[in-house]
Amino acid sequence: MSSSKVGMDLDRRWIYLLVLLAISLPLLRKYSVPPARMSAAEKVFEVVESTQLQPGDVAFVAIDFGPGMVAESLPQAEAVVEHLMRRRIPVVFWSLYVLAEPFLDSVPQRVAERLGKEYPGQSWEYGRDWVNLGYRAGGGLLLQSIPKSENLLELFKRDARGNNLADLPALKDFRRLEQIKVLGEFTGLQGMLDAYIQFFQKKGFRLNLVHGCTSIATPEAFVYLDSGQIVGLLEGIAGAAWYSELLGKKFPARLPDSSGVINTGLGIAHIVIIFLIVVGNLSSLARWWRQA
Amino acid sequence: MSTVNYEPWTLATILTGGLGTLAIFSFLVRENRLYRIFEHLYIGIAAGLGLVVPIKNYIWPQILVPLLGYDVVQYPDGTFSKVYDPTNLLYILPLSFGCLYYFVYSRRYAWLSKLVIGFSLGMSGGLAFKGFFNEIIPQLASSFKPLVVYHDGALDLFRSFSNTVFVVTLLSVMYYFFFSFRRRARFAEMGAGLGRWLMMVCFGAFFGSTVMARMALLVERLQFLLNDWGAALRYCIGL
Repeated sequence: MSSSKVGMDLDRRWIYLLVLLAISLPLLRKYSVPPARMSAAEKVFEVVESTQLQPGDVAFVAIDFGPGMVAESLPQAEAVVEHLMRRRIPVVFWSLYVLAEPFLDSVPQRVAERLGKEYPGQSWEYGRDWVNLGYRAGGGLLLQSIPKSENLLELFKRDARGNNLADLPALKDFRRLEQIKVLGEFTGLQGMLDAYIQFFQKKGFRLNLVHGCTSIATPEAFVYLDSGQIVGLLEGIAGAAWYSELLGKKFPARLPDSSGVINTGLGIAHIVIIFLIVVGNLSSLARWWRQA
Repeated sequence: MSTVNYEPWTLATILTGGLGTLAIFSFLVRENRLYRIFEHLYIGIAAGLGLVVPIKNYIWPQILVPLLGYDVVQYPDGTFSKVYDPTNLLYILPLSFGCLYYFVYSRRYAWLSKLVIGFSLGMSGGLAFKGFFNEIIPQLASSFKPLVVYHDGALDLFRSFSNTVFVVTLLSVMYYFFFSFRRRARFAEMGAGLGRWLMMVCFGAFFGSTVMARMALLVERLQFLLNDWGAALRYCIGL
């Protein structure tokens, strides 16, 4: 094959194989490079770090991602939830996305187990450190009813396990929207963040809304960060990796998570794609040059 | 020999997950039956879950349990945990109204379903109207940016440049979509052209981030195959 035809007649399956091999190498060797600094992720970290609690205050975490988004959204959610739990901020999980239901249990459970290994003798327990409200139907209508409610326990009534919310220690004194100190929203779905921005608000009260989005949604999410409608943003896996790095600096005994390895694999995949784009364009130019 | 001990159900889940991933990836080589089977399986599972979860998590515990009085427990001495609240019967009204939707399958009574559809459309329209203003007004306000920014008494060159790029982009892109009259002046044509180029930059950013998201999915799946699935396979064959 002449050099001018490279990239024109190449079977695409060779490209797949090249990408596969390039990504597999760091994953097999568990090789990870330090992530790039993400200032939007630092804002999320600062919001969680600076949160001061009064009795009854909680953090809400909306897990609005399904199996198709776990690559980016799951490490983001786990990193932020870990930070909240380390600070002993009670976390209330819920979702407006039906396929997210399994993650409402698995995310806090995994984080609690991880923290339990790191701090022997301490425990993070359901009801005291986190509560799962489960999947809630209603979308925008439900979101709209939250700021209007004078007693959110009356609105939500029971958790996903069937417990009366008023009986759970984490929510004993929780009643109003103003007691939600941080709302973390993790999704890759079009329109989900918009719904929170549109309806999860009250006159005279601005919620600390932080957002974790998939890479596809990043350019759009910056609009909300710029306008101050969200106060922090985790941009895809890169945002999760930097957040994880910040947690590692703050808590040196912390065990590393998978976000660094995934981020490294992604970086190598990008180098391969850039290489292929350059080769493809050079081969196209060479072909054009010969024909001219 | 693997040191990990798997619960049978966990092992089956991991093995099926790996098989499903490989079956879907097999499409990259060529279209095949295994791919088709798992594609249909995925669609079926997603549709089934979409039906079961709202019933399990919402309709049953939030509506049917209080409506049918299943949350009232009778103690051995014959007393009850609480008195049945008759206002729970009001749930029947929205439930019945919602069920009218199923008349869409009847030729004779299809008009009943239109009542529900009309209600939904009206409600969605009202919500969208309110949501639009809640979302867009703060963005409009934040688009009024100073072109010259001072920070601690000194000129902040980066912020000033950044704000200028923002304002130029905003105006030129808006002007590109201004079709009310024909653009004759050369300057006006250049402004619209600039808007078009800036949108191309934006589309490039979108495309790049799309590639990044897809690659992240691939990396996560490979990580699962190499670590979790690989370990489960080694466990199965006793390595």
